[in-house]
Amino acid sequence: MIEAAQQSRPEAAPAAPPALARVRRSSRIAEVWRFRQLVALLVVRELKVRYKRSVLGLLWTMLNPLLLMIVYAVVFTTIMPAAQPNFSVFLLAGLLPWLYFSTSLMQGLMSVLVNQELVRKIRLPQAVFPLSVVGSNLVNFTLSLIPLFAIMAALRQPFTPALLFLPASALLLTVFCAGVTLLFATATVFFRDVRHLTEVLLQMLLYLSPVLYDLKQLGEHRSWWFQLFRLELRINPLSSLIPLVRDPVYYGRLPSLATVAVALAWAVGALLVGFAVFTRLEPRHIHHL
Amino acid sequence: MRDGQIILQDVGVGYRIYREKVSTLKEAVANRFRHLRTAEKFWALRQVSLQIAPGEAIALVGHNGSGKSTLLKTIAGVLEPSEGSAVVQGRISPMIELGAGFDPELSGRDNVYLNGALLGFSRKQMEAKFQRIVDFSELGDFIDLPVKNYSSGMYARLGFAIAQDVEPDILIVDEVLAVGDERFQEKCKRRIQDFRAAGITFVFVSHSLPTARELCPRAAVLHHGRLAFDGPTDAAWERYRELERGPAPGPVFQA
Repeated sequence: MIEAAQQSRPEAAPAAPPALARVRRSSRIAEVWRFRQLVALLVVRELKVRYKRSVLGLLWTMLNPLLLMIVYAVVFTTIMPAAQPNFSVFLLAGLLPWLYFSTSLMQGLMSVLVNQELVRKIRLPQAVFPLSVVGSNLVNFTLSLIPLFAIMAALRQPFTPALLFLPASALLLTVFCAGVTLLFATATVFFRDVRHLTEVLLQMLLYLSPVLYDLKQLGEHRSWWFQLFRLELRINPLSSLIPLVRDPVYYGRLPSLATVAVALAWAVGALLVGFAVFTRLEPRHIHHL
Repeated sequence: MRDGQIILQDVGVGYRIYREKVSTLKEAVANRFRHLRTAEKFWALRQVSLQIAPGEAIALVGHNGSGKSTLLKTIAGVLEPSEGSAVVQGRISPMIELGAGFDPELSGRDNVYLNGALLGFSRKQMEAKFQRIVDFSELGDFIDLPVKNYSSGMYARLGFAIAQDVEPDILIVDEVLAVGDERFQEKCKRRIQDFRAAGITFVFVSHSLPTARELCPRAAVLHHGRLAFDGPTDAAWERYRELERGPAPGPVFQA
């Protein structure tokens, strides 16, 4: 109902020195950097509050994928047997990065709204809120690798040196998640529907991305819709981001250079666009909270 | 420009008021964004020019809805002016609300660090301040209890204790002295006077003449978003009383 009046041009007051609020992009980055400890504290707070009063605490982060795994393992070995060996490892190697992305996005897009009391009262770079959500999900992602390795060991899945690539995978995923989450967080401030829309889109995206299947498993069809699906998979950023984890974990090999290059381009691109849009619209957020 | 200086030049903060309520994308698309064109502009602040020198103390006075909070938020950098310019130099300690940013689930100790980080301080810097903050708040062992178990007085004490220790160049206080018991209020006032003696710029919103007179020689009266008076506190108070009695003009609308 109430929206910010058009930001009038700073030239309106020629005699006055430039407003502090109108800072250059580079100093926006510096400002977020200055508040990096806040991001770390918000991550700790997030984890502390989430697992407060639960007996197992942080263990839940590890139990979650483990229990999920057991369900999938039962389903895909007895009820609907899958062709692949160690299908549960295959599945988990795709699901963990997927969950990292989708959970970051769903929590992160609400983060400015959730922290609106702070936004109204203290001047701080609002990007710290979505970034800290991504940070706490990075902790979750990292911790959930432990049960993954346990399952790999239990199923005699070979451990190869390619696993050493996983930190780089996590970094690329994090940069990508940060960019997308920043973009959606600012959009949600202006239109609350974005949240519900994203929820539906994510459900579709799960099947439109190579999470539960591998690109190589796709057969060939001449039908136009299959060609369309192919095209979608080619431009889908997750087609290069998921293999960053699955290739080392399941196939025991490094992701191809092309995959890494495309993933890197998506990650950096998403962060640049997300950060630029977020900081551009940030001053107007307060009128829409 | 020196730290602690505030220059407001023709500052206006405007909101759009929509006759048709639209808050979802569906409605916006269905209306073809007509609501954006039918909006009226409401100015919470208009053409406010104020110069506050480093070390000066000024009280902001005005009726409810006169724009005091908007002005305070503009100085604090929370709001950007829609017209004119606001230049504020130096570190601001915003006590717009004591304990803003406390997480009720966390202990007082964790909240000290969290609040410090919200104001841009590192953990190391806060560690150096921590004992002083606890001493000032007089919370003792309660510091390790979750803040949700605090009484409102304890809450405010911890909030003030943090805000008073951030070495600000500019101190912004929004009627926070109404909380806490009388003895603690006195302590806060003394602390604020120390600040003033140290040459820290002080901007203060008040509804109480004695407190305003005690703390600030200068006061600015806001009336419906405009600066109605700027001068000595006693004269400002008279002007404020006068405006209170007078018929209130409608809010400043402009299509």
